[in-house]
Amino acid sequence: MKKLSLILLVFSFSGLFAQPNCEAYKYQGNTLKYEACIKAMEAGKHYQFSKEYQTILDESLAIDPTFDYAYWAKSIAYLKSGDFVTWKKLIDKAVELNPKEHLGYRGWCRYQFFRDYKGAIKDIEKLDSLVDYDIGQGQNGTYHLNIAKGLCYKGIGEKEKAIAIIENQIKLNEAEDFVGAYDYLHLGVLYLETERFEQAIELFKKQSQNNDLAENQYYSALAFLNLDKPTEYKSSLEKARKLYKEGKQISDPYSNPMDKIYLEDIENQLKKVSKNINDE
Amino acid sequence: MKKSLLIISTLFALLSCKSDRKNTEKQSYSRWVGDIAQNEKIDDVTFKVCNGDSQILQYFNLGQGPVYTGEKSSILNTFKSKYETLSDSDQNGFIRLRFIVNCEGKTGRFRVLQSDENFEEIEFDNKIVNQLVTITKGIEKWGIFYRQDDPIDYYMYLIFKIKDGQLTEILP
Repeated sequence: MKKLSLILLVFSFSGLFAQPNCEAYKYQGNTLKYEACIKAMEAGKHYQFSKEYQTILDESLAIDPTFDYAYWAKSIAYLKSGDFVTWKKLIDKAVELNPKEHLGYRGWCRYQFFRDYKGAIKDIEKLDSLVDYDIGQGQNGTYHLNIAKGLCYKGIGEKEKAIAIIENQIKLNEAEDFVGAYDYLHLGVLYLETERFEQAIELFKKQSQNNDLAENQYYSALAFLNLDKPTEYKSSLEKARKLYKEGKQISDPYSNPMDKIYLEDIENQLKKVSKNINDE
Repeated sequence: MKKSLLIISTLFALLSCKSDRKNTEKQSYSRWVGDIAQNEKIDDVTFKVCNGDSQILQYFNLGQGPVYTGEKSSILNTFKSKYETLSDSDQNGFIRLRFIVNCEGKTGRFRVLQSDENFEEIEFDNKIVNQLVTITKGIEKWGIFYRQDDPIDYYMYLIFKIKDGQLTEILP
């Protein structure tokens, strides 16, 4: 029973497993790739980290060393264990063989797992130059790749560029009624950091209508403080603390996302509030 | 006596900084990618996993994301106060320190992986690596994960992003 629950548990967090369509290779007359694909599918019943999973994919690559999917699938466990050296070698092979399929993924992972902002920007921009369709979401579905790219520009200090990219993508997302779970929050924080406080608050309001978070209320408080609105400042901090304790925070199963705050940050601001009241 | 103990433990600490990564070509795999076997020569012999090596999970397997005692901010504060930036350093890249957190929140079997900004393996100045290892080993209590009320052992890592010898990010 214990073993079963372990298997279930591990599989439920093994990430998206986008399967290729083996029959398509057959239809195209690419027998080698078809066979490599059929072999690779056997790996699906094993955990990405396991000896069995890795070995089956090696066998798939022995059939067809140009089967990019197998390199990609092999790379995942190395990514998640933080072995960036082996991960990079494997994902580079996948990108080399099929750039349109894997550039966006590599760019996203560079951001999510390693905060390699420059590398992520390069990959996402390269993908954009290769295709004439929407480059789509990052692997975990939380962000459009352009939002991730904007956050990477913020990471290297180019905040105005980040704002322009994210503003534009949010407009497109709104038109499709597909705004990301944290899109407004990130843009609001960028406005706050560039001292556009009124605009920041407007965005935080939108975020709270969509998906209120401790971060959202915390940064709202900072904007109110700058606008000299102490009542709103205090009530936002209290809301932030409540949301934080309810677990309503920005989160990711593998890492701490950008703009995340900690309970300590909220408490420190609240201490300032009580100090100010005592001083008066 | 005390001095020789100090020398021995320093030697162990240095040895444990060596990279454990093997060539990926035709390798024989362990149970799971990245498994760390106990090495009596370099690992603390008093460190024990509670449920056996075959039951060690990854930090994200329970779906709670990385968990730190006192949240990640406490880790950030620890490194901020203890890490000393080397002056005039032109060292850039990533250093990963991977280890096991046991059912009591204690750590052991530390292994180091180092790369430049393009993820090509390199070796950083030992003064940087040793500091990171020492500070990490000095963190006494890590988050304990439970599976059906039973505390488990899990693999955890910290990735340090280094720019001009400065510690710019700690992940995950």
